[in-house]
Amino acid sequence: MTKYYDIDDIITEEEIVSVIFQKATSGVGIDPSSETDYIETSSKVELPFWLAHELQLRQVVSINIPPCFDQKTRLEIQADCASVDLRSRCPFFYEFGCKIAPVVGDRTIGFLLLSAFKNRYKEVLTKAHTAAFSAATKFWSILTNEEINLYEAAQSSMASFKKWRIGGPRFQKAPVLGRKRKLTE
Amino acid sequence: MYGRKACQLVKELASGEKGQLTPFNSDLFEQVVAECTQHHLELQALIRKMQEEGLDVQTTRNAEHHGALIHHLSLVRNKRCLMAYVYNRAETIQSLLWKIGHVLPQEIEEKLCHPEVEYFKKHSAALKSYMSKMQLDLTVDMVPPKDPYIQVRVLDDIGDGIVLSDDKTANFARHSMHFLKRTDAEQFISRGLMEELTG
Repeated sequence: MTKYYDIDDIITEEEIVSVIFQKATSGVGIDPSSETDYIETSSKVELPFWLAHELQLRQVVSINIPPCFDQKTRLEIQADCASVDLRSRCPFFYEFGCKIAPVVGDRTIGFLLLSAFKNRYKEVLTKAHTAAFSAATKFWSILTNEEINLYEAAQSSMASFKKWRIGGPRFQKAPVLGRKRKLTE
Repeated sequence: MYGRKACQLVKELASGEKGQLTPFNSDLFEQVVAECTQHHLELQALIRKMQEEGLDVQTTRNAEHHGALIHHLSLVRNKRCLMAYVYNRAETIQSLLWKIGHVLPQEIEEKLCHPEVEYFKKHSAALKSYMSKMQLDLTVDMVPPKDPYIQVRVLDDIGDGIVLSDDKTANFARHSMHFLKRTDAEQFISRGLMEELTG
């Protein structure tokens, strides 16, 4: 598993999905609403994705589509991708979609992700290279984590290019020491 | 329970700025380890219950089996989170050596737990012995500089009597400017104690 130690992967898998138990289960206190630790068949529980995925492989539960991929979000994405606030729905929209798609058996998720990403990528690139700082913070808050990585990569490449043109100092304080003063980029 | 605390631990790692260390959260770490023991006990209790009922543990798929399965999966998840926490911190510490040099500054040492400090020291000793066998200093800049000497201004009080590579002693008082060999100045610049003067 190449992503065993990857922190983003761990946090992506922690997303909550709602599942329906196909088989009864005892001895687990995972459902906060029930008093006993016995889960009946066909009861609806909220579980983190890593648990739901493994249980579905063994056919103990069946997973419902999570709310971030429901009809309302799809309509919004079709209307205007670039201003949809994906971060509040799910900060790992694309990664989570990739993991959920084979599990839930919904073929349209792939197309949804692709079209959303294509449209938003254009915005991400143009804003990263040109936007002033004040406009950027508002845009930043609606991006998912993967888009933010791209955004930051674009910004750092612009900064390196400028530095190469001007010829700034080669050595700076190592970033791990923290910011006692502003770093000169 | 069920991996939530472990996820908190991992999120703490993700919340710091890139490349920066947060203080080692040993309370939360120990809580997650205690949770693992608890899951293990509950798992054993469920398996025992199945055995008392005379069912074959390997093949029966009843309610207790599923409960035991959930406990097992939570345990494995906790393990993954703990290992990722330690692994990512270890990687940051490794890169510390290349950026800052062989001496740990006080502010960083406070953030590390005791085994991590040991890790840093052993890693640094291993690198030193490797470099001395190769007779090559690997921690200098990869790009050869145009000028072997640079002008620097001292930002923090380093003290006087520092011996440089050409066996001269220098007095590094605050705001003083010096004309040093690049290799000497590099280690001070990366620790933030000096800055390069260009132009």
